[in-house]
Amino acid sequence: MTQPGEFTYRRVHRASRDLLFDCMTRPEHLTHFWGPDGTTTPVSGITVDLRPGGVFETVMQNVTDGSRYTMRAVYLEVRRPERLVWTEPGVEGGMTTTITFSDLGDVCTEVVTHQINVQVMFASPEARRGFETSLRRFDDYIASIAAT
Amino acid sequence: MTALASDELSIKFAALADPTRRAILTRLANGAATVGQLAEPFALTQQAISKHIKVLERAGLISRSRIAQARPCRIEPAQFENMAEWIGQHRQMWQDRYDRLDQHLTALQADGPVTGGTRTESGTRTETGGT
Repeated sequence: MTQPGEFTYRRVHRASRDLLFDCMTRPEHLTHFWGPDGTTTPVSGITVDLRPGGVFETVMQNVTDGSRYTMRAVYLEVRRPERLVWTEPGVEGGMTTTITFSDLGDVCTEVVTHQINVQVMFASPEARRGFETSLRRFDDYIASIAAT
Repeated sequence: MTALASDELSIKFAALADPTRRAILTRLANGAATVGQLAEPFALTQQAISKHIKVLERAGLISRSRIAQARPCRIEPAQFENMAEWIGQHRQMWQDRYDRLDQHLTALQADGPVTGGTRTESGTRTETGGT
């Protein structure tokens, strides 16, 4: 049963499980896609200590005003290439993200992103600001596409 | 989204975090009910139910009649809409992230060995809670 504050996103990518797992766990890959539009996530701002209890941090920097938003998480489970779990423990009952990678054959992988306690993002003013900024950037991006 | 709107949203999510309060809302989705009627299916005192009702009322998810003496509770469907909207924005963030990942994968694989076929479509399916 789906609970309030629970979130699931499914997506099929044309790549192997191993490559997708590496994309989600290696700074040299994460830097290409992690941050919202209008932000950069430099490799120097990404910390990946890939083991249970290890740190997963990303510093996203706003391209226009230079403001920064840091996501701070800790890995709970690391099972290459099928499963990755981290939690953002900054707030009580922190948001926990589980990503599962399923091999569909023919070099296709289903990636399922499941999150619980999504609402705690709103308990932290910093997270809220960061998220609102990313949404504003996204809106700007959409507007710029629509204008052309 | 303003900070104020977000605070209202966090109050709503917090109100929904409790299973008893969700059960109360489920009951109210079928029609208005008094505190006494709402207390019946639970092994809780009317006083305990009243506390839960106050939380739901403060979150704006239900309202209580000012007219009838029994003050029946009603669900406020419109109040659930901005929660649905926020979940939609959260989904957009992930969709956007995985779109960029696809672009990155395409760039990587253009340099590497051909992985068979030229299919490029990708499928999405989402489920969300809190609506």
